[in-house]
Amino acid sequence: MSARWRSAACLSLLALLAVVTTLAWQRFTAKPIAQAQRQWHEQQWLTVLPPGSYDNQPLQTALALADTSLRHSRLLAAYRATLAGAPTAILLHNRFQGYGGAIEMVIAINTQGRLVGMRVLEQQESPGLGDQLADPARQWLDQFIGRAQENTPEQAWAIKRDQGAFDQLAGATVTSRAVIAAIQDALRYFDDHRPALLGEARP
Amino acid sequence: MSRFWLLMISLVPLLGATRTIVQAISISLCACLLTGLHQALMAPLRRHLAQGASLWASAVLTATLVTCLYLGLRAWALPLADELALYPLLLALPCLACEQLLPHAHRYHQLCRGLGGLLLASLALGICRQVLADNLDLHIATLAPGALILLGLLLGLYNHLRPSTTSPSRQGSR
Repeated sequence: MSARWRSAACLSLLALLAVVTTLAWQRFTAKPIAQAQRQWHEQQWLTVLPPGSYDNQPLQTALALADTSLRHSRLLAAYRATLAGAPTAILLHNRFQGYGGAIEMVIAINTQGRLVGMRVLEQQESPGLGDQLADPARQWLDQFIGRAQENTPEQAWAIKRDQGAFDQLAGATVTSRAVIAAIQDALRYFDDHRPALLGEARP
Repeated sequence: MSRFWLLMISLVPLLGATRTIVQAISISLCACLLTGLHQALMAPLRRHLAQGASLWASAVLTATLVTCLYLGLRAWALPLADELALYPLLLALPCLACEQLLPHAHRYHQLCRGLGGLLLASLALGICRQVLADNLDLHIATLAPGALILLGLLLGLYNHLRPSTTSPSRQGSR
C-alpha cells in the first residue's frame, strides 16, 4: 500500500513541477517570441519595397481607410513609406478568396500609381500548382511590376486565356484570376483615394 | 524488434521536416535532444514509480519537454520554427514510444544506435531532397509522398549494401 501512495505522491509532484516549469518557460519566452515575430513580420513585408526607397518604419503607423470592401477583395490595412519626409510608396494589405481559401497579399504602389512589389503573406492553394504563387523563385508576380491603371487598359487585366495581357500560373487558373482581380482592385483603390493615402489632402 | 524501430516511430517528422538540409539537421537534433533528456529524466523516476504510474509520468514529462522546445524554437529561431511547422511537437510520439519499446538490457546502447541511425537517415534524406529539388527540378522531392518514396529507396540501398545479419543456418533449407 505504501508503495502505491509513494508512487501517487511522486506522480503528483512531477505533474506540479511540469506545470510550473511550462508556465515559467512560457513567461520567460513570451517577450523574445513577440519581438521575433514582429521582426519576422516586418522583414517579410518590407521585401516588397526596393531597398533604400524609404527611411521611416512604414508598419508603425497604419493609415485610416475610407472604404475597405473592394470589388473582389477586402482591404485590411494601408501603410505609407516615406523618404526624407516625402511619400515614396503605399503598402496595401488585402485579402481575397483564392482556390483553396483566403489569400493575403501585400501590394506596394509608388506615387505614380505603378506597382513596385507584391508578396503573398498567407495562402492555402493546391500544393505544387497554386502555391507556386508564394514561391519567390517562380517570379510569376514580377510580370505585374511597373503596371498601372494608366498603362494597362481595363480589359487587359486578365490572363491570356480570357483575352488579357498576363501569363497564368500553370494549372492554377482560378488562383491567377483571383490575384489579377485583387491587384487591379488595389490599383483602383489607390487611384480613387490617392490624396488621402499620400497625405496630400488637408482636412 | 526491427533494426529500424526508431526510424519507424519517428516517420512523420522525418518525412515532413526534411525538405532542406538545415531542416533535416535541426529536426534530428531536436529528436536526439528530446529523447535523450526524456530518458535521462525518467531514469531516476522509474525506481519510485509503479508500472502504471510510470506511463503517466512519461507522458507528463514528454508534454513539458516538447512544449518548452517548441517555445524555445519560436523565441530564438523563428524562421526555422516556421519552416518546421508543427513537426517538432510530433516528436513527442517517438519520445513516448522509446520509453515503452526500449529493452531493459543495453538500454542506452540501443537508444544511441537508434538515434544515430535517425540522424544519418534524416541527413541523407535532407541532402537527397534538396539536391533533387534544386538541381534536377524534381518537384515531387519537396512533397511528403516523394520523401516516403526516397526513404524507401535509401533503406533499400542500405539493405542491399549491408549484408543480412541473419546467419544462413537460420534461413532454412530448400
